[in-house]
Amino acid sequence: MSDGSPTDGSGAPRVGIAGAAASVPRARIGADAVREAWGRFQASGVQSKAVAGADEDSLTMAAEAARRALDAAGVDAERVSCLTFGTSTPPLEEEDPTPRLGAFLGVPSGASRRYLSGSTRAGTSALAAALDRANGVGNERVPDTLPALVVAADRPRGEPSSPEDHAAGAGAAALVLTADGPATVGDRAEYAVDYPGTRFREAGSERVEGLGVSAYDRRAFVETVRGAVSNLGTDLAHADALALQAPDGKLPYRAAAALGADADLVSEVTPVHDLGDLGAASPLFALVRALDAGRERVVVVGYGSGAGADAFEVVVDPDGGAPPTDRAGDSGEDVSYAEYLRLRGEITDGPPAGGGAAVSVPSWRRSREARYRLVAGACPDCSALAFPPEGACPDCGSLAEFEPVELPKQGVVEAVTTVSPGGAPPEFVPQAERGGAFGVAIVAFEREADGEGGAGSASVPLQATDCDPAELDAGDEVEAVVRRIYTQEGVTRYGRKVRPVE
Amino acid sequence: MRDTYLVGAGQSDYGAFPEESYRSLFRTAYEATVESAGGVDADDVDEAYVGTLGVGGRQLGLSGPAVTEHVGLRGVPCTRVENACAASGYAIRQAVMAVRSGMADLVLAGGFEVMTDSSSEATKYWLGVSGETAWERMSGTTFAGVYAQMADAYMREYGVERESLSRVAVKNHANGAKNPQAQLGFTCTVEDAESAPAVSDPLTLYHCCPTSDGAAAVLVASEDAARSFDERIRVAGVGAASDRVGLFQRDTYTGVPASTDAADAAYGAAGVGPADLDFAEVHDCFAIAELLAYEDLGFAERGDGARLVDEGVTDLDGALPVNTSGGLKSKGHPIGATGAGQAVEAWKQLTGDAGERQLDDPKRGLTHNVGGSGGAAVVHVFEREDAPEPRGAGAGRGEVGR
Repeated sequence: MSDGSPTDGSGAPRVGIAGAAASVPRARIGADAVREAWGRFQASGVQSKAVAGADEDSLTMAAEAARRALDAAGVDAERVSCLTFGTSTPPLEEEDPTPRLGAFLGVPSGASRRYLSGSTRAGTSALAAALDRANGVGNERVPDTLPALVVAADRPRGEPSSPEDHAAGAGAAALVLTADGPATVGDRAEYAVDYPGTRFREAGSERVEGLGVSAYDRRAFVETVRGAVSNLGTDLAHADALALQAPDGKLPYRAAAALGADADLVSEVTPVHDLGDLGAASPLFALVRALDAGRERVVVVGYGSGAGADAFEVVVDPDGGAPPTDRAGDSGEDVSYAEYLRLRGEITDGPPAGGGAAVSVPSWRRSREARYRLVAGACPDCSALAFPPEGACPDCGSLAEFEPVELPKQGVVEAVTTVSPGGAPPEFVPQAERGGAFGVAIVAFEREADGEGGAGSASVPLQATDCDPAELDAGDEVEAVVRRIYTQEGVTRYGRKVRPVE
Repeated sequence: MRDTYLVGAGQSDYGAFPEESYRSLFRTAYEATVESAGGVDADDVDEAYVGTLGVGGRQLGLSGPAVTEHVGLRGVPCTRVENACAASGYAIRQAVMAVRSGMADLVLAGGFEVMTDSSSEATKYWLGVSGETAWERMSGTTFAGVYAQMADAYMREYGVERESLSRVAVKNHANGAKNPQAQLGFTCTVEDAESAPAVSDPLTLYHCCPTSDGAAAVLVASEDAARSFDERIRVAGVGAASDRVGLFQRDTYTGVPASTDAADAAYGAAGVGPADLDFAEVHDCFAIAELLAYEDLGFAERGDGARLVDEGVTDLDGALPVNTSGGLKSKGHPIGATGAGQAVEAWKQLTGDAGERQLDDPKRGLTHNVGGSGGAAVVHVFEREDAPEPRGAGAGRGEVGR
């Protein structure tokens, strides 16, 4: 190999998972709550499911899973040379979300990016895209294609009365791929066959639908999954986990049975029973659980209606040990069905009259490093920290250019209040109607002295999320996460909010 | 440096007046000012400064001339002063500077605001425009939220209970009930304040001032010009200071440094201290702001402000009555008019025209006007010509009521 990379023995450059992580929103709704609202529950096998918060979308969930995966792998975002992202529910139908996702994390502008959408297969397609890029052509590793960051996030939704919606959950998963990651991504295969009408979303609609022809739907799923796994050329008998797309609590078991695989291979790793249908994130989420549980031979299958499937074999190097994983959000907070509808914006109004604050999109962008990554400025004359990093030094008044300093993401609440939905500025009313009263804190982030600069503290006003605001007090430790701030003129502004440290 | 005097002061009623316009309100204030001065020839006015934030956006450009021309001050140079809620406090300071510079002998300073003719959403938009917009506002706060954070920090640091905030409301409503021009001229109890709906925890509705329509004005004269007026109140000292607009950018959340700096400058210029004051009108946009003002202005030591209201020191019959007009809480807070309205109360108290709330022959008083959560502050000391010799700059600091 020209660059001396390890291979998998067949000559293709070896690519391994160096870290993996999942993230799930805090809210959960039980099947019973849906059953009580509708008189029946149409997603059998789903006991509860995750519900995205009022300030979450596929991009914010992706950011959290990605950050955790990078941390788990011990890979600095600045080193990422390939970022791939798959979701069937992007915040916008047109606009590449990967530059923003990269900016949340600090991925360099020169990194290659692939964005996959329009199918629940987008998650495994994102993995395939990263492998394609790493392997290049002719078994030569393309230089500087690793580390790669593969992210899948989704929050599908359907008509509230539909089986698709009863199953619909929310979550994200991310993998960091390197040349020496301990879990090798080996064989892969695809299969596609024309099956119209099983699950689709019309242009302009936010809701998936299906014709509901159950035998036909089942056949489309089973045939396509089986086709991909058969093409994998791996003996399923050796697998100890099957990380299989799970649009509901039944289909993956039908496919497993057709493949002659034990149902336990699916049930022990699938997120569908406790978190619901995670769409494009479903198979990678199951893979994260499998790695976390110490499984050593995992077959991963992503499926998208249409229908097509990707299959991969992931083998943990017995000498290298399992890659580090981080599973966030295994526990949640139950919400009622009414709260569920509110959180999703089903029964709330759009933006109110009255106008929003004048922070233009260009001026928001100008401050993006401070907003996305809490980049403060250190005064070159007195080393005091300034946030935001602009204007005169708060301590010595110098107008010298600040040195950028990324603040740690954990801080301490200095002062906090709870803003009721009636007291929110107009641009925050839609969120408050969905998510209720919110806390607003001033948070101090302490920077420890290191080789590049001295210790210091910067205070930032940040909204609180993922918590009962009444329970947030001065002195509490909080962590800053990426969330939607507000939407104006169709453009969503993202930035940091804080939540209690788990 | 030339001495300057107030020779007239007046205001419109504060409240919600769908029948009035910003011009008609300003006219009412102007006419009241002229009447209090015993009549003024418009030709004698050399200069005008008008404070307004511009809530509602009705006349953001040239809002100064729009009102001075309306009241017949034809051709008089007029400058709009904008420092959020401290706009007309600063307008008075500009008038003092104009007189002291020798460029003018008689200057009108005032302000106006119309806040009650918009939807509640639009009003909330405008209530948040003077916070630090790019960060503070984007964290989801309007002013109530920022002052609530100050209250949270203050109560925690000094172990103060919310009941002390409620006593500020009770006191100011008791005073406002004696002021026929007050917007909320009713009394309330601690229980009323405690049980009112939360606005921004720990602040309830009764810990927040209302939105108001209103206008107020004063006439500032040189010593020479003042001789031709029946009543004159000396502007003994002026102080002002700026600070970072966002609370999070400041060194403290439990005080308003600009207020302290402005007060120090005003005390120094007047050669007085808290011990020399007979009353004060302070900026109580939220109940916590009055407690902070007690400390920032040197009436009480840090953390000891609640004592003044708990022990009745700042009641109408206390050692240092504060907000005899009812304050922003009860009298009302038409943003651009507020600072001038405070001077109107000082004028009324010092000229014996304060009616049912009249203090017993006060000689010297202070007004304190804050913009935003403390990005700007201005303090004036006013005194009668027969005021006793003061005890000196800063005298009695932290000892009011001791």
